Amino acid sequence: MKTERTIKESLKGLGRNKTRTFLMMLGIIIGIATLTIIVSAILGAKSKVMEKVAKFGFDEIAIFAGAGRVQGVPQDTFTITLRTEDGEAILAEVKNVKGLAPSFQAQGIPIKSANGNTDSTVFAVTPSWAEVWDTPAVAGEFITDEDLTSLARVAVIGQTVSKELFGGEDPVGKQIHIREVPFIIKGVLQAKGTSPGGQDMDSRTVIPLTTGLKRLFNKDYITQIRVKLRDPGQMTKTVEEIKHLLRERHKLQAGVVDDFTITTPTQVTEVATQVSTALSLFLIVISGISLIVGGIVVGNIMLISVGERKQEIGLRRALGARKKDILTQFLFESVAVTVFGGLVGVLFGLASGKLLSLFTKLSMVVSWEPFVLAFIFSGLVGVLAGISPARRAASLDPVEALRS
Amino acid sequence: MIELRDITKTYKKNGEMEVRVLQGVSLDIKKGEFVAIMAPSGMGKTTLMNILGCLDRPSSGTYKLEGVEVEKLNDDQLSLIRNEKIGFVFQTFNLLPRASALENVELPMIYSPRSGDLSKKAMEALKAVGLGDRIHYKPSELSGGQQQRVAIARALVNNPSIILADEPTGNLDTASSEEIMTIFKSLHQEDRTLILVTHEADIAQRAKRLIQMKDGKVVQDKKIG
Repeated sequence: MKTERTIKESLKGLGRNKTRTFLMMLGIIIGIATLTIIVSAILGAKSKVMEKVAKFGFDEIAIFAGAGRVQGVPQDTFTITLRTEDGEAILAEVKNVKGLAPSFQAQGIPIKSANGNTDSTVFAVTPSWAEVWDTPAVAGEFITDEDLTSLARVAVIGQTVSKELFGGEDPVGKQIHIREVPFIIKGVLQAKGTSPGGQDMDSRTVIPLTTGLKRLFNKDYITQIRVKLRDPGQMTKTVEEIKHLLRERHKLQAGVVDDFTITTPTQVTEVATQVSTALSLFLIVISGISLIVGGIVVGNIMLISVGERKQEIGLRRALGARKKDILTQFLFESVAVTVFGGLVGVLFGLASGKLLSLFTKLSMVVSWEPFVLAFIFSGLVGVLAGISPARRAASLDPVEALRS
Repeated sequence: MIELRDITKTYKKNGEMEVRVLQGVSLDIKKGEFVAIMAPSGMGKTTLMNILGCLDRPSSGTYKLEGVEVEKLNDDQLSLIRNEKIGFVFQTFNLLPRASALENVELPMIYSPRSGDLSKKAMEALKAVGLGDRIHYKPSELSGGQQQRVAIARALVNNPSIILADEPTGNLDTASSEEIMTIFKSLHQEDRTLILVTHEADIAQRAKRLIQMKDGKVVQDKKIG
């Protein structure tokens, strides 16, 4: 009851000196606004990653040929031992595997038609690719088992390839040259848009796996097997089973590193999170510094305010305020300033974050987290900044204070 | 009601020189008395006021207020006594400049353990001093006399046993002083205990008992009026 009245006095005190209150709040507003932008950006990055994972599929894992496949490093530098038979074995022996698609993939392959030429990512695949990669043919027909056995020189092209080689014409039945080898187009792939990595997924060209390996690239290995699972909840266990099977088939001794790499959606998430965490750490330091500076400002103004309001303090003591009441009043003034400043900062931060996302590629997510963080941090700053001035106010001798 | 025995108060000035402001003051004040304490400026009357008002502690001697030995109380208990039993009126009014008359009068009730409707009681107190129509005025919008009346309303609002007024008319013109003394007179008629410190003889003459101090001692104590 009494504390409630004292707190009311604090708020009245703040309201009576709006300029001072605003100046105290400013630093906190800036600090919390920065913090809010950071949190929104982190959440935005996270949701982007989740989007990527969703596109990749939660029930999918990818097996890449070679150890520690790193983006940007040519795959030929690895010892490549992944074979079509590995895929068959996985499908036969690992129960949780619903389906899989082995493929050989090569980027930047020149393709020519009578009308033009372009570069394309060529996938040498089996018929299951259409379902596992969720990319069926929308015109004509996809690769068939007969194509595989006959090493047919047929191709299914992506929409970008079609547009660049044939313009608006129907390409089905027409001839193209892939690396100077003639192929007949038997279908067009469904449009997929841009990949999360920024690649145009419609600039793909799909040919039979056997044709690709024997007639075009002269290779006896595959670069990737994409696996669809029956139960995504068993992912970790299934990955272990596949790993075990492949090590056995590749005759790897204990202690020798894997000659393949298995990527799961969780790993994709982890990598992306690590990157955004490193970046946000830097920004958190910045907002931490501005919060500390804001806290110092609040503390200093509170200290000045205690000096200026000695007479008020003396009067309140004379009228019956205990030391505790004075302490509560001043401490609450400081906390109220910072918490309210924090609230304004969050709103300000969310607004400028939204504005920022309009002009930059940053994606921002509006969520409850900044509010909780702001409340905790600004409250903490308020207590730390206010405790010493409040103690000083409470310990003033009432007689001395009244005389000033 | 008030029993002072051999009260002394010594201040240390500049860390070394001791100044004895009160040198053995003994006083008895009964309920309902209207006492004026007169002394030249700087002769310990404010110190005596602060001790009577439980704001300050004597260096030696005993002070009993309504039978309670004040020097044995801790800081919180003294705060409670100031809140419940003592109403202060200051020379400089001591109103919160940015708060309204009503808010100023509410102040003592904020620290009172008793509950109740703050603004209703404050309003009644302001009406009692004739300022019922000025409750939302800020001190700067009121005359000196009106400001002191707000201060008196504030002193009365917790219904204290004693009203201590330190040079209440010191900053006022003659007309306003007259207003204030009229209020004090009516308070005396309501049987309240009033202690008035002043150096103005004509103000002191309005009381019923006059105590004269010099050099930290009581030199004269007589009934008047």
